[in-house]
Amino acid sequence: MTALPAPAATAVPAPAPTGRVAPLSPTLLRLELLRLLRDPVTWIFSVGLPGFLYVMLGTSTEYADVSAGHGNLAMFVMIAMAAYGAVTATVGVGGRAALERTQGWGRQLGLTPLADLTWVGTKAATGVVLASLPVLLVYGLGLALGAEGTMGAWLGSLAVVLVGASLFSLLGLAIGLGFGTDQAVAATGGVVVVLGFLGNVFYPLSGVLLDIARFSPMYGYVGLARYPLTDGWTSMGAGPAFHDSLGLLIANVSVWTVLFGLVALLLVRRARSRQ
Amino acid sequence: MTIHATRTTGATGATGATGAVRDAAVDLRGLRRTFRSAHGEEVVAVDGLDLLVRPGEVVALLGPNGAGKTTTLDVVLGLSRPSGGTARVLGLDPREAVRAGRVGAVLQTGGLLPTLTVGETLRYLAACHPGLAGRRGPEAADDALHRAGIAHLAGRRVSRCSGGEQQRVRFAAALLADPALLVLDEPTAAMDVAARRAFWDAMHAEAAAGRTIVFATHYLEEAEAFAHRTVLMARGRVVADGPTQEVRSRALGRTVSIALADPAAARTALADLRPRLARAGVAVLDTATDGPRLVLRVDDADTAARLVLDVEGAHDLEVAPGSLEDAFLLLTADATTTTARTTPTANPTATHTATEVAR
Repeated sequence: MTALPAPAATAVPAPAPTGRVAPLSPTLLRLELLRLLRDPVTWIFSVGLPGFLYVMLGTSTEYADVSAGHGNLAMFVMIAMAAYGAVTATVGVGGRAALERTQGWGRQLGLTPLADLTWVGTKAATGVVLASLPVLLVYGLGLALGAEGTMGAWLGSLAVVLVGASLFSLLGLAIGLGFGTDQAVAATGGVVVVLGFLGNVFYPLSGVLLDIARFSPMYGYVGLARYPLTDGWTSMGAGPAFHDSLGLLIANVSVWTVLFGLVALLLVRRARSRQ
Repeated sequence: MTIHATRTTGATGATGATGAVRDAAVDLRGLRRTFRSAHGEEVVAVDGLDLLVRPGEVVALLGPNGAGKTTTLDVVLGLSRPSGGTARVLGLDPREAVRAGRVGAVLQTGGLLPTLTVGETLRYLAACHPGLAGRRGPEAADDALHRAGIAHLAGRRVSRCSGGEQQRVRFAAALLADPALLVLDEPTAAMDVAARRAFWDAMHAEAAAGRTIVFATHYLEEAEAFAHRTVLMARGRVVADGPTQEVRSRALGRTVSIALADPAAARTALADLRPRLARAGVAVLDTATDGPRLVLRVDDADTAARLVLDVEGAHDLEVAPGSLEDAFLLLTADATTTTARTTPTANPTATHTATEVAR
């Protein structure tokens, strides 16, 4: 056989990339979420566990109805559990994203024109959507099981929990890039639990421990999320009531976000230079 | 057959009087790539490699493990940057060529996402090409699955696909953006014989469409069946470059073996034959005695056979093609001395590569 079809592949120039880079790809977002939601681990640990913890810690008849600022203590606990679930989700997404980038799938993506911005934007959106699942579950449980507060407290805390959680994907990214192993990323769940204790999420701290905890990463985030409810006051536990100013909480979140971002950036550079 | 005819269709890159080639598919000059080992020593993976591939060519990179094939292809794909020398792909910086969607590749270590189906994987990768926006993405994905012969696997999870099937998923991904250049790094490594055949059948169709194809392999049969041109690599250098049959006979040689009266006679005959073979211009690549049998691996089997038959008591002559495994062992041990003479003269790009080989 000597007659050949025209060499269409070389004659027709490949489609050129469009000039503007999209910060998000709907197709990639949909498929990323599909992957996560197919994984039972996502449902059990990312979504189910925070809901379970809220039911265990936030619905006790002994103190749930105690007044706390613009609502009750059940709401105070609800916000903390939602924040814990949201951060677990975003840290996990960030960590796995780093692994994918440095392992085989990253090489596969490296063969496509996919822009860094699109990839980062899509992963960030994936984290926020995934984080919204435990948050909505916990808030739903709160609504059904006795959390009470003003409309401002409900909506304000919800917004802070969701937006603030996305910052912690940088922490996951840094852990994933820094250690580069599946074990490290699996261990991020434990890291979030430790940060949760230090952040006054699970158990009210006092004394020296509290003085140290004020500088830990989740303290500012959870404090801000509770601000619409308590105006910065915390009166749980044995110690006297204490107050955190809005400025201090914002400073905590800002400094940690910049730190996580810088570490992640340095690690991305390090990974690039090894190519 | 069909492959040879396609060479003319793609030969648009004109060679100037100086040997500089415009519009080369791949143009590597003095390419060097080093890595730091865990102990901080510098390891040279590619050591001054020159390679010119013209549009429409099908080229095999043949060589033992550690020859630098994967490192070379990583540079071509923009996944790795040269430590020295230059790399141009389709007239562009390698990374730019990839960004333009003009290069498709099947990697040895390209991971896939186990929880997605095959069809979803292709749609995911299609969405990574800005040129395949909107409805064109799923269409390109379906088309690539058909061309790779795995349309029937579209609904299967990647985690349930065999190694060979996953490799064909990567092949489909390489075809997504209709690339001018296809780069394949040991594409059939995880495949059984039937899958291997089906894969190369699909590749023949892509070659016939005029695509430039560069693939790394350590199977001589694949180079012979598929590539008109073979570049033999060892220790980060090109040791032979030319038409596949020529590289095969010159670099691998043929094995001439003959029986003598006893092992001592075989050893004596070997000592006698060495200077006589050298005078006749026969390059001896390797020698061995196996009991009373004398085994020579040479580039010119006809002349060698005449000489060994002259030895007293010699009988039972056998001439066999040289094995690639033997050649690899020798190349790995000593890349320069045995192959210095193997520069093929019929190589169309000899001006570009001969100096390297002769060094």
